[in-house]
Amino acid sequence: MNALANPAVGEFLNEHFVSSFQKVGTFQIVAGQKQGGNVASYFCAPDGRVLHVVAGPVDSATLLREARWVVDTVKQSLDEYEKSGTSFKAQIREAHAARLAREHGLKVEAVTFDSPAPGEESALSYRDPTGKPLAPVLQLPPIDGPDVSFNEAGQAAARTSPGAKEVVDRIGRRWVLGNQGQVHMLLAGHSLKKIETMYGSVFEGILGEKVSTKPVIVTTPFPWVARR
Amino acid sequence: MKTLPCRWPTVALLALILSAGAIHFHPQLAAAEETCGEFGTSVQFVESPAEAGRLALKAEKLVFVLHVSGYFEEPDFT
Repeated sequence: MNALANPAVGEFLNEHFVSSFQKVGTFQIVAGQKQGGNVASYFCAPDGRVLHVVAGPVDSATLLREARWVVDTVKQSLDEYEKSGTSFKAQIREAHAARLAREHGLKVEAVTFDSPAPGEESALSYRDPTGKPLAPVLQLPPIDGPDVSFNEAGQAAARTSPGAKEVVDRIGRRWVLGNQGQVHMLLAGHSLKKIETMYGSVFEGILGEKVSTKPVIVTTPFPWVARR
Repeated sequence: MKTLPCRWPTVALLALILSAGAIHFHPQLAAAEETCGEFGTSVQFVESPAEAGRLALKAEKLVFVLHVSGYFEEPDFT
């Protein structure tokens, strides 16, 4: 089922979110084949700080589940903030660390403070083809190791999941995380940062697509739709 | 599963917590063409993330932003 065309997805997103789109990269034709082309879905606060990301195309059930998780988590975190004053940012980052442990079997310590930003001129930057820095490379929180509930079946599933990538924990053991596992790892350290700070780490760091521009507005996200 | 009400006053609190009011999307996004529409999906898109932020603040909603590269043509997604 097409995710964005799904009526339930549309109803939920239209009810709880105001939606928009940007272009962040281009693609190349090599030997008649299109290379590149991908999508990342950001769930943000009204001021553009990132609460959650879905990296890559997913089915409607997954997109709806993630959108619901954002709405529920924001509501719970705001309630907790009102009750106890616990930092909203810390709660969101801890929620991502908890999902990484629960769903992907790896433990990281949520980073509840922000170290000084390296700036765009840092050597650690994603750059356009001319070398101009576009976005910082965000450092991931170190993996402590497997969660107590970790099992080999989880790793087997991760090996076949989209974007499966090897990650190394604090003592050098190697594990595998798919796109969404990597998203939770990134957001355990960096959620509530601005979208233009995050997009390089999502699009190039996780999805492996070259970012070629700052996010720019385009007239349509899906130019082929009119041709259908 | 419990469904949340469409608008919750607590989103206004989120705006306060995050020192909102200022929309922090990249300044390059200022000049936008009129691009509102659904583009063959069930989702209503507005012209820019900055506009989405303004509307979300007013309507006490959150913001959903798609980042696409090139001709992202994935029939299962779109």
